[in-house]
Amino acid sequence: MNPIKIQAIARKEFYHLIRDFRSLYLAFAIPLFLILLFGYALSLDVDNIKTVAMDHDKTSLSRDLIRKLDASSYFNVIRHLSNTKEVTRYLEHGRATMAIVIPPGWTKNIKADREAPIQILLDGSDPNFASISLGYITKFVGEYNNNLLFDFLDRKSLEKIKPPVEGQIRVWFNENLESRNFILPGIIAIIIMIVGAMLTSLVIAREYENGTMETIFSLPIGAGEFLTGKAIPYFFIGLADVLIAVLMGQALFGIIMKSSFWLMVLASSIYLFVALSLGLLISIITKSQLVANQYAVLVTYLPSLLLSDFVFPIVNMPKVLQLITYIVPARYYIDILNGLYLRNLGMAHQWPSYTALIAMFIILAFMNLLALKREGM
Amino acid sequence: MTTSRPDTIFVKDLEKKFGQFVAVDRISFSVKKGEIFGFLGPNGSGKSTTIRMLCGILTPTSGQGFVAGHDIYTEPEKIKQSIGYMSQKFSLYEDLTPFENIRFYLGVYKIPPDQWEERMEWTIDTARLSDVRNRLTRDLPPGWRQRLALGCALLHKPDILFLDEPTSGVDPLTRRHFWEFIGQLAGNGMTVFATTHYMDEAHNCERIVMINEGKIVAAGSPSEIISETIPGNPDADLKDAFIKLMSRSNN
Repeated sequence: MNPIKIQAIARKEFYHLIRDFRSLYLAFAIPLFLILLFGYALSLDVDNIKTVAMDHDKTSLSRDLIRKLDASSYFNVIRHLSNTKEVTRYLEHGRATMAIVIPPGWTKNIKADREAPIQILLDGSDPNFASISLGYITKFVGEYNNNLLFDFLDRKSLEKIKPPVEGQIRVWFNENLESRNFILPGIIAIIIMIVGAMLTSLVIAREYENGTMETIFSLPIGAGEFLTGKAIPYFFIGLADVLIAVLMGQALFGIIMKSSFWLMVLASSIYLFVALSLGLLISIITKSQLVANQYAVLVTYLPSLLLSDFVFPIVNMPKVLQLITYIVPARYYIDILNGLYLRNLGMAHQWPSYTALIAMFIILAFMNLLALKREGM
Repeated sequence: MTTSRPDTIFVKDLEKKFGQFVAVDRISFSVKKGEIFGFLGPNGSGKSTTIRMLCGILTPTSGQGFVAGHDIYTEPEKIKQSIGYMSQKFSLYEDLTPFENIRFYLGVYKIPPDQWEERMEWTIDTARLSDVRNRLTRDLPPGWRQRLALGCALLHKPDILFLDEPTSGVDPLTRRHFWEFIGQLAGNGMTVFATTHYMDEAHNCERIVMINEGKIVAAGSPSEIISETIPGNPDADLKDAFIKLMSRSNN
């Protein structure tokens, strides 16, 4: 490994990069686009559930119930309706995902100590959304009942009864349960994969397509020098993208990393090594920019999105898929980033993930060297 | 006279198989220092495979080979440092300027940085590109690009220059200048190993080996090959000899 040779290759690669508008565009527009897209559009949080209300009772109590519902940040009463047909239409057209129907005589029933049901209709077509809504509305009704009960006891000047078990719930690590805090590491992982693997998957294929690879083989360049030189410009672009993502996460979404910045740079560098080696390997094997690009999407982007614990929890996957996730680098990187961002975990807790990434890099680097040796380098 | 000069390329029973297919079938030849050596054959004759083995890119299946004193089996890296290679496919980066292309070659040939400026000037002068050193290579005419490619292949002062169809796509006048320059290089002691499809160009070679279907079918000076292949015809040229040799061995 001669530093002068590596520098010569890296410099040449850098010139290719700055003169190729498409690569540069991919390198910087994709991260910005993905962060904005995922950060704003892909919110897994459920709030402001669109609700329509139909109040047949029309008492101060029934109006109070609906007002309290609207005041909660989870629900947003968008319309007061007067007949069942309209309620059905709102739900059918998806203009509301929840409806609350208060029957006539509801207040009278409460006062008379009889059962006083209200009807709540939920749109279950998005089960995740519906079950979260179900939780919120169940909690809301429970609290409303308690309030009524306490008011009643107050009026009778009785002592408040305490419930025998009181769950004191505290949320750790992501106190406000904001899904953005959880999404950002996933976006960073995907951005690095795309920039690292997709761009490098083109660089050796391009030399084959232009015929310059034949000349490269005739030059006294070792396979290790060639790969290192090729990777260096993309390594810095990848790191720049990590910094852009971290800064945007902080500036736009207020997501602040709890743990060491340098540990994050270290983890990102190792993950970048994996992404770059994967891209270069694809490039050597396919020898065609078009095919390489398709492979890169298939091998890097999709698993990073689907099998990394980012969008779909690994614990819920079938056993076979769970096993496959062990070879998805993004899985380990997201684990490390979650630890750094949310849990303030250091190397002491997360060394298995670091080790997994380093092992992947070594295996991929070895495969790259073998592939180039077979070609005649 | 040729016998007094040492061999810079020496090949004996060199063979290369790809699976069952014999691409190069136990060929032997040698090239003297300072000689312009022509290696001719149709596409698929084993010509490119032989050059790739001599340049340390491909490992032979069997046989011996030494290039610039280095074993082609064990010292490909040293061979690559001692040769210059100019390929039929364009060996330059078209999205880089001549200056940047030369800089790349300076680096990979491990030229000490204190000599970079001198070597850079020499290459730019040799290739006569001083006015366009900062233009993109793709905007230069083919003849200029060819001079640049040659300059890049020479800037580390190699012992042997490999020219793999160096003049395809270049006009006749430029080709003549090119061969005059090659003649000067050989006069200064550089060995030149060239392949070409232009038989008039092959006359620039002192000695020629013709290869077909992996075997050597003729060897000698251009005039020897002509007179041996087509005896008693003073009008015959190298092209006639080439066509006769290639069609004969195909049958």
